[in-house]
Amino acid sequence: MLERFMNMDRRIIFILIALVVIIPTLIPIRLPITVSEPTQKLYDYIDTLPSGSTIMIAFDYGPSSLAEPEPMAKAVMQHCFSKGVKVIGMTLYANTPTLAHKLMRRIAAENKAVYGEDYIFLGYRPGALQVILGMGTNIANVFETDYEKTPITEIPMMQNITNYDQIALLLDLAAGSTTGAWIVYANTRYGLKIAAGVTAVIIAQMYPYLQTGQLIGLMPGYLGAAEYEKLLNVAGGDGTVGLNTASYAHLLIIGLVLLGNIAFFVHRRKEA
Amino acid sequence: MIEIIGIWVAAFLTLCIYSFLYRDNPFYRFAEHLFVGISVGYGIVIAMHQGIIPLAWVPLSEAMSALWTVITGQATPETINALWGLVKIIPIAIGLLFFARLSPRHTWLIRYPIAILIGFGAGIAIPNELQANIFAQTRGTIAPFAAINAGTLSAWDIFGTILIVIGVICTLIYFFFSMEHRGAISWLSKVGIAFLMVGFGAAFGNTVMGRLALMIHRVGFLIKDWLGTIF
Amino acid sequence: MKRQVPLALCFLFGIVMILTQFVPHKYVQALYKEFIDWGLIISPFALVLAVITLIQTHTTRVRRRTEHWQYSFLVFAGMIIMVCVGVPFGEQDSVFVWLYDNVQVPMDATMFSLLAFFIASAAFRAFRARSFEATLLLVTAMIVMLGNIPIGDLVWNKVMSWTPWADGASGARQWILDVLNSAARRGIILGVSLGVISQSIRIILGIERSYLGGGD
Repeated sequence: MLERFMNMDRRIIFILIALVVIIPTLIPIRLPITVSEPTQKLYDYIDTLPSGSTIMIAFDYGPSSLAEPEPMAKAVMQHCFSKGVKVIGMTLYANTPTLAHKLMRRIAAENKAVYGEDYIFLGYRPGALQVILGMGTNIANVFETDYEKTPITEIPMMQNITNYDQIALLLDLAAGSTTGAWIVYANTRYGLKIAAGVTAVIIAQMYPYLQTGQLIGLMPGYLGAAEYEKLLNVAGGDGTVGLNTASYAHLLIIGLVLLGNIAFFVHRRKEA
Repeated sequence: MIEIIGIWVAAFLTLCIYSFLYRDNPFYRFAEHLFVGISVGYGIVIAMHQGIIPLAWVPLSEAMSALWTVITGQATPETINALWGLVKIIPIAIGLLFFARLSPRHTWLIRYPIAILIGFGAGIAIPNELQANIFAQTRGTIAPFAAINAGTLSAWDIFGTILIVIGVICTLIYFFFSMEHRGAISWLSKVGIAFLMVGFGAAFGNTVMGRLALMIHRVGFLIKDWLGTIF
Repeated sequence: MKRQVPLALCFLFGIVMILTQFVPHKYVQALYKEFIDWGLIISPFALVLAVITLIQTHTTRVRRRTEHWQYSFLVFAGMIIMVCVGVPFGEQDSVFVWLYDNVQVPMDATMFSLLAFFIASAAFRAFRARSFEATLLLVTAMIVMLGNIPIGDLVWNKVMSWTPWADGASGARQWILDVLNSAARRGIILGVSLGVISQSIRIILGIERSYLGGGD
């Protein structure tokens, strides 16, 4: 009996996990969210930027991991547009430019932001290291035109922007190792301030950089997006809904770990 | 209409891939291979339009047209300045050497662009890695002691600061293989393992959230976007 | 020609890039900009080669009739469609964007979302407290999982109210990440960076030559 339970068909677990995601998706719940310090720091930094400042967002994730960074991008861009902070988008990922361009356009339309005045999307160039270093000397050397093929010298919001010196913050929305590269090459070499919004898988790697101030803020996965939405007083944002939905699945996985261990120890005692 | 067709195509392909959860089947293999093909095609287009054309083709063609104005005697100070763009022929030629990989006899030529990119990366890494990851991280470990000295930290924070120092030293000792792990060193490296396990446990806990987020996103698409077109 | 010139080029680019960090002279900085430009121009060709190599892999599969080789035609079909639309009409063409949005993105996202099912299955089958180290890993993972979800604080405050963290599970999670996790990660960062630096020095000096590959 116990052995049958321990070796149950994994498809039963698949059905259980599907159910705990499908049911809360159909019947959304609302739970209180506590804002963590790293997200609060990022929010405070952007909130204190004077109107007319410019930040850069690097969309460094692929379609495989868009679930978490997209709500973060939405929350941060909404905050920026409401404060009159301009946004430059770009990506170091070859499979992302179409995705990031469409996302920026959509968020901007929701916030009535104007392309070329409130935001632009530069696109993608191969060679992450050279792109990061190259933009430090002159953005136009790397991106002579934006993604929509307009020379960046003709774009109104780029008139006073040459390199990182005119950029108040680089927010790296990352699913891989790019945040490390931005810290090592853009922050150390050019003094550009860096913050990150990362997929949950790489959150733990970011903490040493937070404590040293090499990262001025951090949004950890769905949680970070939900926290930022709470700070903006956005009800029912994608991050909040996603995090609440994830709650039951987390409890199921914790339950599965406990059950698996109880069964393991009972089995071991019987065998002894 | 096109949008609705798109949602149905996306939903069909999503279900094809989820069918793998039952077992490997032709629907999954169909979607898997189509995905690879579309991704490769996308990569080629992006490499052309976001890489080779703006970085190599456009500057070179601008330099060539400047050269033409010089040859035809219509040069201006601007076009003469643009002649500097001809220097880009060198890196373009070096870049083209990547394709020597396709000819077994000339494959060694690929070493030239690789050597340049590797040398570039190694040279820029040394001072910046040293600054960002060695000096800054070491300073970050020690600096809170100044706050302890100034009396601005609570007892709980002081405990945390001391734990970080112990953790960093013990983790480094665990990775230090130049001496045998016996006696005190063995104990310290065991403490290092304990810290590493906590670090990996934290990573696993977060990974669960990350993986669930991906699934929630797809389930949300199927329920809200796809079923939304029916009901 | 085959080995010495690449080694010399690697040395030259490596040394110059180190110098540019410390010498602010305008000529050195001009060289720095020029070398970055060179890197930018060379990189896209590597991307194209990577794509060509993938095509070669599937061509070989078809030629050798390996298992499920017929599906490789789908790879070529997908690729040809994207190239035929994207190369002449550009990456912002509506058909190209439609194919990306409705074929590539959903499949890529779904493929990775399968991991949610597998991680749940692995949590039940393999995540066992067999030793002290495994128990540490397991307990930490449980606390972080609870701390990541809003419902975690409610559960924690019911059964663990005696702990020093004000915000329940989220406070405990934050402390673990800030202190214990940071200490371990910092140890790893220091170790890896020392490795990167020493390897970079070996590469520039020509001691490490594995990137040149085999042959003469």
